[in-house]
Amino acid sequence: MVETCYIPKDLAEALRIRKETGAHPIAGGTDLMVSHRRGTGVVPKFPWPVMIITQLKELQKIEEEDGEVSIYAGSTCHEIEVAELVPYQVRKAASLMGAQSLRNLATIGGNICNASPKGDLPVPLIMLDARVELVSATGKRQMLLDEFIDGPKRTKLQDDELLARIIIPQPKAPFTYLWYRKIGTRRANAISKLSMSAAATVDTHGIIVDFRSANGASGPKVARSRAVEETIIGLSVDRLAERLPAFLDAYDVILSPQAMPQYRRSSTRRMLEFFLSEVSKRPDTTIIE
Amino acid sequence: MAKKPIGTPMRRTDALTKASGAEKYLSDMHFDGMLYARMVRSGIPRGTITDISLPPLPDGYRFITYKDIPAGGNNELVMIKKDYRCFAEKDVRYVGETIGLLVGPDRSVLVDLLEQISVSYEEQVPAVTIDEGLACKGGAFVGENNLFCDFTIHKGDIDAVLADAHRIFEDEIITGWQEHVHLETNAALVMPDGDKFVVYASAQCPFYVRKSIAGLLNRPYEDIVVRQTTTGGAFGGKEHFPDVLAGPLLVAANVIKKPIQLVFDRHEDGAYSVKRHPSRTRFKTALDEQGNILGMDIDVVYNAGGYESCSYVVLQRGVFHATGVYNIPASRVRGRAVATNTFPSDAFRGFGAPQTLFAVETHLCHIAAALGVDPLALKSKYFLRQGDPTVTNGHVFEKVVIPEMLDQVLQASGYKQKVAEYKRGSGKGIGISFYNHGGAFTGNGEQMIIKAKARLHKRADGFVEILVGSTEMGQGLQTAFTKIVADTLGIDEDKVLYPNPDTANVADSGPTVASRSTMIVGKILEGAALKMKERWNESEDFFTEDEYKHPEGHPWDQVTFQGDAYIAYGWGVCAVEVEVDPLTFEVVTKGIWSSHDIGVPIDELVVHGQINGGIIQSLGYAAMEKLDFHPKKGFKQVGLSDYIIPTSMDFPSQGASLVHNPYPYGPSGAKGMGELVFNGASAAFIDAVSRAVDKDIRAIPIPPETLTELMA
Repeated sequence: MVETCYIPKDLAEALRIRKETGAHPIAGGTDLMVSHRRGTGVVPKFPWPVMIITQLKELQKIEEEDGEVSIYAGSTCHEIEVAELVPYQVRKAASLMGAQSLRNLATIGGNICNASPKGDLPVPLIMLDARVELVSATGKRQMLLDEFIDGPKRTKLQDDELLARIIIPQPKAPFTYLWYRKIGTRRANAISKLSMSAAATVDTHGIIVDFRSANGASGPKVARSRAVEETIIGLSVDRLAERLPAFLDAYDVILSPQAMPQYRRSSTRRMLEFFLSEVSKRPDTTIIE
Repeated sequence: MAKKPIGTPMRRTDALTKASGAEKYLSDMHFDGMLYARMVRSGIPRGTITDISLPPLPDGYRFITYKDIPAGGNNELVMIKKDYRCFAEKDVRYVGETIGLLVGPDRSVLVDLLEQISVSYEEQVPAVTIDEGLACKGGAFVGENNLFCDFTIHKGDIDAVLADAHRIFEDEIITGWQEHVHLETNAALVMPDGDKFVVYASAQCPFYVRKSIAGLLNRPYEDIVVRQTTTGGAFGGKEHFPDVLAGPLLVAANVIKKPIQLVFDRHEDGAYSVKRHPSRTRFKTALDEQGNILGMDIDVVYNAGGYESCSYVVLQRGVFHATGVYNIPASRVRGRAVATNTFPSDAFRGFGAPQTLFAVETHLCHIAAALGVDPLALKSKYFLRQGDPTVTNGHVFEKVVIPEMLDQVLQASGYKQKVAEYKRGSGKGIGISFYNHGGAFTGNGEQMIIKAKARLHKRADGFVEILVGSTEMGQGLQTAFTKIVADTLGIDEDKVLYPNPDTANVADSGPTVASRSTMIVGKILEGAALKMKERWNESEDFFTEDEYKHPEGHPWDQVTFQGDAYIAYGWGVCAVEVEVDPLTFEVVTKGIWSSHDIGVPIDELVVHGQINGGIIQSLGYAAMEKLDFHPKKGFKQVGLSDYIIPTSMDFPSQGASLVHNPYPYGPSGAKGMGELVFNGASAAFIDAVSRAVDKDIRAIPIPPETLTELMA
C-alpha cells in the first residue's frame, strides 16, 4: 500500500512538495515499482512518501543550446533512442535497455538517480563529460555526472532537489571514432554484464588529440580516468601499438577489484585493444563495430 | 473432393481466446467469500524447527500447519513415492519447504503478516551438490547413503571388454538445474462443495492431484473433484508440483470451509518450485587400436533434492537413453539419484533423457577430437537400425530413418562444406547431434500402471465431446485430439468440443506427460470414435469408451530392467552453426537445422511450434540458463531478469523438416514428439562452440564468462 502519494501538476509544485515532505520522485517506475513489489494482487509499498512526476511537461524535452544538448530528466529511453540531437553512444545505450515496453516508460532521470552499478546511460554520459542540473524551490546547481553518482545506489541529490536535466557538452572537435558495446545476459531485454563506451579524435596529421573511455558494470560506479586517457593523447597513431600494453595495464588498474569475474577485465582489454588498433588504421567509418 | 491429409494445419482450437486475451486462467477466478493464501516456507536448507513465532492474527486470518491434518489423514503427498510431505513437521530438508499456509481475505495483510512470522531453527550442515550428497556431508538424511535409488543395467560383458581394450577414454559431463519458466506461474484453488471438495488447478494431470491429496483428509479419491483450469505452460513443472499447492489448500479448506486461492508470484515460482535434475555422467569407453568403440561403462548421478518424488522414474529414463541412438556392443549403466538439501528436482520436458543424451553426444565428440576425426564420421558408425539390440537387451522395432533425416539436415545446413571451411579454433563452428525419445511410459507402464481409458459423448445437439483427463497446456493437444476425433468420424472439427477436464465426468486417460497423449490417448480416442461412428444415427445422446491395448510381443521385466524399455521412439537430428565473438566470447548462433521422425504429424503447424520451442529451450539450457545455488539461501537466479531464457533475438529462425515413418499403433501413424524436440539441440550447440574455440566443453550452461575461463 502506498502510504502517501503526491501528484503535482507542475515542476514548481513538485519542488514545493519535495521541500516540504522529502517525497521520493517516481517517474517510469521500472526500478522502484519492481524493487518494492509485494506480490500478485498487492500494491507496492514504499518506506517513504512518493511523488509521481511522469506528468511534468517541464521535464520532458531534449534540446540544444550553444552546442550543448540537454536531455531533461523525464525523457524516456525510447525518446532518447530516436532523438537525432543526442550523441551516438547515448542513443545506442538507450536502445539496448530492456524491452520496448520498458524503454517507453523508463526515464533517464531514473536511470541516473537509481545509480545502479549496472546502469547503462551513465557510461557514455560520463565519457562525454556530461553535467547534471539539480533544481530545488530555492535555486539550482550543476555538477559533473561523474561526481553526482557517489557510489552504488548513492547520489549527491539533496532531499529538496530534483534532477532537472543532463547537459552534454560538445567536444572541442567532433570525435573521429566512436565505440559502444554492451555485453548483456542475452541479446535483448538484458541487464549489462559489461558495457564500454569510447571515442577518439584523430587530427589530419594522425595525432590523437582526444581519447576517452568509460566502463559500466565493472565496479561500484562507472570507471573512467582522464589521467590514463592522457597517456595516449598527443601520440601519433603510428606509435599507438608500442604504447598500447602500458596503456592497457594502466586502464586495468582503474577497473574495480570487484570487476570480477576476470571476464570483465579481459573483455575490456580486448575491446580497447581492438578499438585502438582500428583507430590506428584510420578507417573512413566513424563507428567502429 | 479428396480428403486432406490429417497433418494439414488448422487454426488451433484455443488460438482465438488465447491471442485475444479472453481466456480465463486461475488467477482470474473469483468466488464469493474467497480467501487468499501465502506459503510460509523454510528459510534454511537443513535443520530442526525450534519455534514458530506468529504475530497476533486479525479476525478471519488463520495459520495452517501439519497439526490441522485431521485424524486418520497422512501428512504426505502421494506422487510416485509417498515421501514428499505436505507440511514440514520438525525437520526441514531445503530452503522453501512448506511449513504452513497463511490464509485470509486481504492479500496485502497476508504479506504484512508473512513479514512478521519468524521461524527459529537449530541448523545443520547441508549437502547441496552431487558430490556433497554422495559424501553424506552433514550426515546422511535419506537411508544410510543419501541414495533414493541405485541400479545398474548390463549389456554384454563390459568388464572383459574394458580389460582387453587398447585404450580406455574417460570423460565426465555435467549439466545444471533448469527452471521451467512456464508463462503462467503455479496456481491452485480449493473450495468445499457439500461433502466434497473441488480443486481448481493449473495442472497437467488432474487425476494425479486427486490421488496425491485425498489421503491428507483420509478420503476416497472421488471426494476430491479436480478441474483443470486453462494452463499457461507447464513443461513438466505442473506434473506433480500442483500437489504441493493443492495439498495445503485442501487441509486449509477443510478447516476454514471457504474457497481459498493460491497463486505464486514469478519470483516465488522461480525460487520455490521444482527444477530439472542436475547431472554428472562419467564414461569409461573402451576403444580398439583402430579407434572403434567396443563398450561403455557409464555412471549416471542425478541430484534429486530433498524428496524423491518421481526421481526414480526420471533416472530410469536417463539410464535407458544413456547410449543414445547408438548400438554400443557392450555397456554397463549405473544410475543413482542422490538426496541433497535443495528444492526437489522433478519432471521437465525430456524427463531425464536430455542429461544423458547430452552426455553421450558430447562424450563422442571428445573421442572424435582425440582421434582427429569428424564427430559425424565417428557417430555414424554406430547408428541403431531396425532389429538392433538396445541398451536394455530389447530391440528396435521400427525402421530407423536416421540416414534419411541426416541427409535432409546435411543438405539444409551445408554441414560438410562448413566443416571443411571452418577450421577448429577459427571462431566459427558447426555441430551436429543425434537423439531419440522413447514414447509413452517406460516398459509396460501403460499396460500395468496407467490403463488409460477415453470417452466420447455424442450429444443430442450433434456435437461430440471429448471426455478425457488429458490436458491442453499450450502444446496443442486440444487441436490434435479434435482433429483425430473429427477425422475418424468424418465430421467438421468445429463439431468436436474438448472442455478442460473435470475428474468427476471424464475418463482417466492417464497423466499428460511422457509424450504419450497423442500416441496413446489419441489412439484410444480413435477407437472410441470408431465405435461412435457405428452408432452415429442413433437419435438419443450416447457415450462410447475405449481403453489402451498393449501391442503384443514386447517383453519387459520391471525388476531387472531387461527387455523393451519403449515400444517406439521418436528420432531427431540437429545441426547448429555458431560464431564466437573474439572480443567478448559471446556466442552468436547463425543457423539451426533439424529433422525429426515423429511418425506422422497430426497438425504440421502444432508440430512446427513444438520443434521451434523445444529446440530454443534446449539451446537456452546449453547456452545461458544458469541457475546457481547458494548453500544457505537456495537458488540465486529467480527472476526473469536474472534467470536468463532466450528471446526471439537470441536464435535465428530454424530450418525444420520431418521424415514420415508411420507408427502402426498410433492414430494416423503418429508417435510422441513433445520431449524429443528438446533432447538434442544442446549437444549440437556445444559441439559447434567446442569446434569454434577448439576446446572440449564438459559442463553446461556455458555463458561467455565461463567460455573465457575455458580459454584462459
